[in-house]
Amino acid sequence: MSMMLRKITDKSFTGLAGFSVVLIIMALAVVLGPMIWIGATAVVFKGTVEFRELQYDLHQRGDRGRLKSETSEVEKVRKKIYAQIDQFKRGIDTESLVAESRKKYREYKIFLKSQNLPDEQCDKLEDNAKEIRNTLADVYDSTDKDTIIKTLDELFAAYPAKQFEHTPVAEMLAAAHDYQTVARTIDLSNREKYAESLAEVQERLTKLLGPRPGEDKPALIMEQYGATRWDVAQKQLKMILWIEDWEETEPGKPMTKKLTPRSNQFAGTTLESFFKNLETDLPNLLKPQREFYWQYFIDDSTEGYYYGGVGPEIIGTLLFTVMGMLFAVPIGIISASYLVEYAGDNIIVRTIRICVNTLAGVPSIVFGLFGLVFFVKVLMPALGYESKPCILTGSMTLAILILPVIIRASEEAIRSVPLTYKEASLALGAGKFRTLVKVTLPAALPGILTGIILSLSRAAGETAPLLFAGAIAVGPIPESILEPSRVLSYGSYDIAVGDRYASMVPHKQFGMVVTLIMLVLCLNIVAFVIRSRVSRNLRGQ
Amino acid sequence: MISLSIPSLHNALDEKSIGNMDVDENVAIEQFSVENENAIVRARNFSLFYGHTAGVKDITLDIYSRAVTAIIGPSGCGKSTFLRSINRINDLIPNTHAEGTLEVSGHDVYDKRINLVNLRQQVGMVFQKHNPFAKSIYDNIAYGPRLTGMRKKSELNDLVEECLRGAALWDEVKEDLNRSALALSGGQQQRLCIARALATRPKILLMDEPCSALDPLATARIEGLIEQLKSKYTIIIVTHNMQQAARVSEYTAFFCLGELIEYNRTKKIFTSPQKKQTDDYISGRFG
Amino acid sequence: MTSEPLNTIPPGEPVVFTQPLYLSPGEDLVGYISDLAGRFILFMITCASVLAVLLIFGFVIREAVPFITKHGVIDFLTSTSWFPQAEGAKAEFGGLALITGTLYVTIAALFISVPLGLLAAVFLSDIAPFKVRQICKPIIEILAAIPSVAYGFFAVMVLAPWMQKHLGFTTGTNALNASIILSIMALPTIISVAEDSLSAVGRDIREASYSLGATRAETTIKIVIPAAHSGIIAGVVLGMMRAIGETMVVWMASGNASQIPHPWWDLSQSIRTMTATIAGELGETPRDSDHYHALFAVGLLLLVFTFVLNMVSEFFLARFKRRREVTR
Repeated sequence: MSMMLRKITDKSFTGLAGFSVVLIIMALAVVLGPMIWIGATAVVFKGTVEFRELQYDLHQRGDRGRLKSETSEVEKVRKKIYAQIDQFKRGIDTESLVAESRKKYREYKIFLKSQNLPDEQCDKLEDNAKEIRNTLADVYDSTDKDTIIKTLDELFAAYPAKQFEHTPVAEMLAAAHDYQTVARTIDLSNREKYAESLAEVQERLTKLLGPRPGEDKPALIMEQYGATRWDVAQKQLKMILWIEDWEETEPGKPMTKKLTPRSNQFAGTTLESFFKNLETDLPNLLKPQREFYWQYFIDDSTEGYYYGGVGPEIIGTLLFTVMGMLFAVPIGIISASYLVEYAGDNIIVRTIRICVNTLAGVPSIVFGLFGLVFFVKVLMPALGYESKPCILTGSMTLAILILPVIIRASEEAIRSVPLTYKEASLALGAGKFRTLVKVTLPAALPGILTGIILSLSRAAGETAPLLFAGAIAVGPIPESILEPSRVLSYGSYDIAVGDRYASMVPHKQFGMVVTLIMLVLCLNIVAFVIRSRVSRNLRGQ
Repeated sequence: MISLSIPSLHNALDEKSIGNMDVDENVAIEQFSVENENAIVRARNFSLFYGHTAGVKDITLDIYSRAVTAIIGPSGCGKSTFLRSINRINDLIPNTHAEGTLEVSGHDVYDKRINLVNLRQQVGMVFQKHNPFAKSIYDNIAYGPRLTGMRKKSELNDLVEECLRGAALWDEVKEDLNRSALALSGGQQQRLCIARALATRPKILLMDEPCSALDPLATARIEGLIEQLKSKYTIIIVTHNMQQAARVSEYTAFFCLGELIEYNRTKKIFTSPQKKQTDDYISGRFG
Repeated sequence: MTSEPLNTIPPGEPVVFTQPLYLSPGEDLVGYISDLAGRFILFMITCASVLAVLLIFGFVIREAVPFITKHGVIDFLTSTSWFPQAEGAKAEFGGLALITGTLYVTIAALFISVPLGLLAAVFLSDIAPFKVRQICKPIIEILAAIPSVAYGFFAVMVLAPWMQKHLGFTTGTNALNASIILSIMALPTIISVAEDSLSAVGRDIREASYSLGATRAETTIKIVIPAAHSGIIAGVVLGMMRAIGETMVVWMASGNASQIPHPWWDLSQSIRTMTATIAGELGETPRDSDHYHALFAVGLLLLVFTFVLNMVSEFFLARFKRRREVTR
């Protein structure tokens, strides 16, 4: 091989090796970057007035006075939007118009009775009202634009609204007036289509702005409020402004999305301008404002993860892992001490080591199987408890999972305690056991602690062992360790693939998984700091 | 009182090396058998093996109380091994076994009945590398006494002060005894280790190259300390620094390749060594 | 030569050892017994790991045996039709597709992670300056620290839509997706073990090669890697174990279709692995049904796989350690 070629090979080899590391670091960035970026919006985001209302209603957070003035401002703007819709609705929803006029007529009769008018006048007025009602009923049923307009004009001429001022009949006439206005602009034969479209708009508007004031509050919290976040609001707005359609461009190819403006459905009607107004008025309707929602980490979430935070998941994760530690750490440290300080090198010790290594290699899902058959099915009934997955069984499963990790880490830490330490203690007359407890273990403590924290982070991230041994996706906050609990890891899985509402709130999906990642990374950083401290100490600085 | 004279010891050693074992041993024992109340450590044909290789072999040696005995020799000569056999700290190394006898105050330390705890408490040790525990200064010194069940705060306080004074460290650390011992300087740490060893009230103090990790100034302080301590304790110090041996010790033993070559008063060893090997070592021709 | 007596120091007060240096027979016995008892207790606690391993094997086998006696092993290992939920006798438990699914993602993942990991290990041990290594190592450790469910989340929420959109696959959750994520997860294991073994190859061997005029690439490829090969193999096997045993990622990213891709090299199709089958189905299976026991049989197979691989890695690690001791 020529010199040149060898040099080139060498250079490219070096380059390739460096590139591979760059590639790995890039992979890390690609994996973590988007998740953290989106997940961060669970805490820092532009919250709307709906968000602040929700926070106040559920947790009494925020300034009441300010919230009130804000809502009243918003209400004013919203009123206009609702009025526009109501007016259009009058032209469409004839059935409710007929019902309403009947109702008004009855109210009017009661009103007349309360006035103590002479019988004749009373009868006359009542007849007039009946006449109006009947005419209106006809008009509402009709689909012929011209007749409607003409009949109504005649009706308005015959019964000027002044005559009925401040009575239910006036309202009846006002409704008829609205109807006339709408009837002028729309194609009445398509009434049903309009009604359908309008119903959809209203439904989406509820998701954007929440239920209208005065309406009954829905049972689910997730339906009681509109869009609490500006990004969600814009998504909802888009769904109001545009109609999404999937259509097949070529046979065999995946379908493509096609957007058409919803205002096309209402072309030429009074509602056409509504969409434009909604778009421009949206900031006034919701008053977005930057929020730092740190309570995300303590709040419970509402149904379907829609609002709220991941508090119970964090607590559940900590419960499982810390309890697992309580089982595994003493056994692990004692085992490691025995293996290092007492055991020689014989067949039994070698068997123990093989078992520790085997345990470390068992797939996590098999731990799940084992947790189910042993802890749930055998141990719990043997202890006199109900045979069901719970925090206790889950944490015991995790304990077995991390036992080998702790043993290995502790072994290494104990082994790295300088011999002079032990000698110093022994030379002072301490026994082997006392030397271990008083000198060796304290000196190995930072190393052991590092191992414990790392296995804590491992346990916090494990999902598979908990699948059948105590983790649930939805459910109440546990009251004792004999109940299952939500955890971050299984929650992350469920929110990603299991829950259909969750896809509406990506910040919650990513927020959950980023919380888990952050928890684990923080534990790792703590371990890293302890470790570097220790190595600094050992170097004598 | 019949005292051991150097020529006879040398004769014994010489003849042994020729191989006339039985006779020499008899001679030696005859000579040593008379109780010498000042001989506190007494080795008779003592050998210590690591597995199959001998760390020291056939050491016959008396060490006298209330004096400083230095053990010198090139590295790997077994001087530390011998020292560490006296309080059996060598036990930590797996697969060691001893032959011959090594007596402390008439008790064979390799006897099965030996009470290691009592032995080690009464035979203190200072190591090559200063090795205070990662505890406070106070707790370092109190560690030994607490092992024997001393719990009373006032007694402990007194003892700690006494030991720190004894190790010439009191004035430097009395302000804050709860400071971590690891925050002290190297020389201070070593003096702390000496203080810690004093706290169990030992009769013998073993020092395994106590100054090898220290700067000259700290070394001088430790040597001064040894000077002070020798009136109360029997000190055996291993060192590879011949000047140090000459400065601090009354007796010097020269080890080479696991064997005792020469043992005499320090003055004698350094001025008129009897063996060529010793002469070579002292004058720097080898080692 | 004067025969001056050696011991001329006046005897003063004799040195008295205040505490007895010999044990009394009683003390001796108590000490012996307490030492033995202490040792025994520690030993028993240490045996907890052994007990755990035995219990795991025992219980998984116990739950798998009813399936094996009823349906036999042959069908389980050779048939690809896995229809466990069908009524009564119609249920089929052919696990071949699950086994091949596991092998597909594992091998594909190794195809990516072994070259990449080996090159990275070489970079860290031989090429990178100290500072760079100090930065790179924790970053690679972070890769190992990220929980598997987070990787699975990334696969489903980020990678799958991207694949569907830009690579034109019919589904984003497929064998390729799972393999890519698994390879990222196996990388830290492979890198750290391989780097350890490369660093353990002494500098003297490298210097000998350099002094003969070899370039760095030649030294690494012809001298260092062969010398460290057992450690590297152990690292690869450990990475492979991680990939085989991984549950969440394959469950979320592989699409969970019990099939052998056709044509066989088409990684863009969905597959299903053994771990994902257990994770996905056990929750909805009535206890002690055929299906339930079949899933334990899958678990047993998994356990045997990893046990064998563990032994292989132990073998290579032991060989590596032995060699290192010989060369030192």
